[in-house]
Amino acid sequence: MSKEERYIDTFKYFLLPFCLFVFGLFALMLAVYFSASIPIFQHEGIKIYTTNIWRASENPNKEFYGVLAAIYGSVYTSVLAILIALPLSVSFAVFVIDYAPQKVKEPLIVATDVMAGLPTIIYGIWGAFVLVPLLKKYVMDPLYAYLSFIPLFSFKPVTGYSYFSAGVLLGIMVTPFASAIIREAYRSLPFMYREAIYSLGATRYEATKILIKEIKPAIVAGLLLAFGRAIGETVAVSLVIGNTFNISPSLFAPGYTISSLIANQFGNAFIYKYMVSALFAAGLSLFFIGLAVNILGILILRRYGHVR
Amino acid sequence: MMIAKEENNIFLKQSNLKQNYAISTEKLNIYYGDHHVIKDVSLNIPEKVVFAIMGPSGCGKSTMLRAFNRLLELNEKAKVKGDIKVFGKSIYKMNPIKVRRIVGMVFQHPNPFPHMSIRDNVALGLKLNKLVKSKKEINERVEWALKKAALWEEVKNKLDEPASALSGGQQQRLCIARVVAMKPKVILMDEPTSNLDPISTKKIEELIDELKREVTIVIVTHSPAQAARVSDYVAFLYLGKLIEVGSTVDMFENPKEKLTEEYLTGRMG
Repeated sequence: MSKEERYIDTFKYFLLPFCLFVFGLFALMLAVYFSASIPIFQHEGIKIYTTNIWRASENPNKEFYGVLAAIYGSVYTSVLAILIALPLSVSFAVFVIDYAPQKVKEPLIVATDVMAGLPTIIYGIWGAFVLVPLLKKYVMDPLYAYLSFIPLFSFKPVTGYSYFSAGVLLGIMVTPFASAIIREAYRSLPFMYREAIYSLGATRYEATKILIKEIKPAIVAGLLLAFGRAIGETVAVSLVIGNTFNISPSLFAPGYTISSLIANQFGNAFIYKYMVSALFAAGLSLFFIGLAVNILGILILRRYGHVR
Repeated sequence: MMIAKEENNIFLKQSNLKQNYAISTEKLNIYYGDHHVIKDVSLNIPEKVVFAIMGPSGCGKSTMLRAFNRLLELNEKAKVKGDIKVFGKSIYKMNPIKVRRIVGMVFQHPNPFPHMSIRDNVALGLKLNKLVKSKKEINERVEWALKKAALWEEVKNKLDEPASALSGGQQQRLCIARVVAMKPKVILMDEPTSNLDPISTKKIEELIDELKREVTIVIVTHSPAQAARVSDYVAFLYLGKLIEVGSTVDMFENPKEKLTEEYLTGRMG
């Protein structure tokens, strides 16, 4: 083995500690969340995840916590966010790359990249003071007035703070993020595929339709990461979701999410014997939701033949 | 530098002959930004022959080829001056989509859509241009095109598998089938074998020989040997200028220009 080869070979020993550090952090956090959740599991078992009760009491025997409403709210609002972000981010990416005049292309990209990096409280305040009243007046009230026989719209929007508001706000927040990933994938599609599709007599619209199919894996990946951001989002969501222990299929009903629950209850949790543990258990569920979403993503990608 | 002269050369003479050329260019100039890539090329390409455009790398042959089906327009920096006629009609007076239907193209890198099935790849041009309507007709045309491209026997049992499952040589024949399916009158080939092994190359060259009975083939190559093997006529391009054009046999036996001779004997290129 030459000196150079040995150098390349030893490089892995240099990299290994960093790899172990990153993985170790993950393992350690999981361990901490798990061990901190043990008291609540001993107290009430799996019911922490299967019931919707939030009863704090000075008497530990009367304490009872169930975070089902928050889990439901987290998943519900994040799915809404993805449904909104999918068309927005794909259309935006295609427009910027294929249609935008050269002069506005870069400004558009910079603008969305800045939006992707804004602190979420910025979105939260805008959401609470601007978006929610608008949505209530122009979307929720009319839908409730005319279509309230559909369960989705059956809840009377009193304040406007609801799953719907949270979902729309999250959708807007994650769009620049998902769009950046989709845009870069679309941009880096080899030029030979563009030539191929145009040489077959495609119009620009037809070419876009075919080319976008070639980046399906990037779209899935972008949306998965966006889902991760949406489900982890805390402050902005707690400002617009209503923070109510509630499980309802209706879009306009208020609810809770795991992260907003933790943020709201954390301050006084130390007063009670089991509440801190309950909040850790709530956090632990996010690990499992994250795992489930990632597995789902791998399965989808495998269907396209990109992961073997 | 000597430039090919017009006298007594049918490939250069301007429209005074009634014969309909598959492609003819008139004072074609192409620029990439400030770079003058193709300089004053006037050329006639007869019907149903294999016409090779030969020259060293960077002489502008691929660029010129892309002008013939207006694919060059995908590149915002490219500018074309002069005229190009396909069967006597200026391509700039036609819809580019129609030009590309008549003038098909095969590229240097095999570029079927990797996640699309073999069948859908061949049917792509048909569907885009609505050339055939029923599913049955599409399947028939796909089979016909794959047979023309000498690929049918190898893929007939896996038409619904993705194109990425094929080897490089097979993918290139798939690209040929994709073009042939649209029944174009001209097929442009941009160094179609430069990324293939010798056996795949031989198959493609045999295919070219087969196809020229029905279509005009314009093939770009940097290899004089390939030009000699496949073409009936050849044009030699050097630094964007047309140096010499004529029948392949004549040019290889008796090149008129010194540059051509140097290129053919391997002293330049």
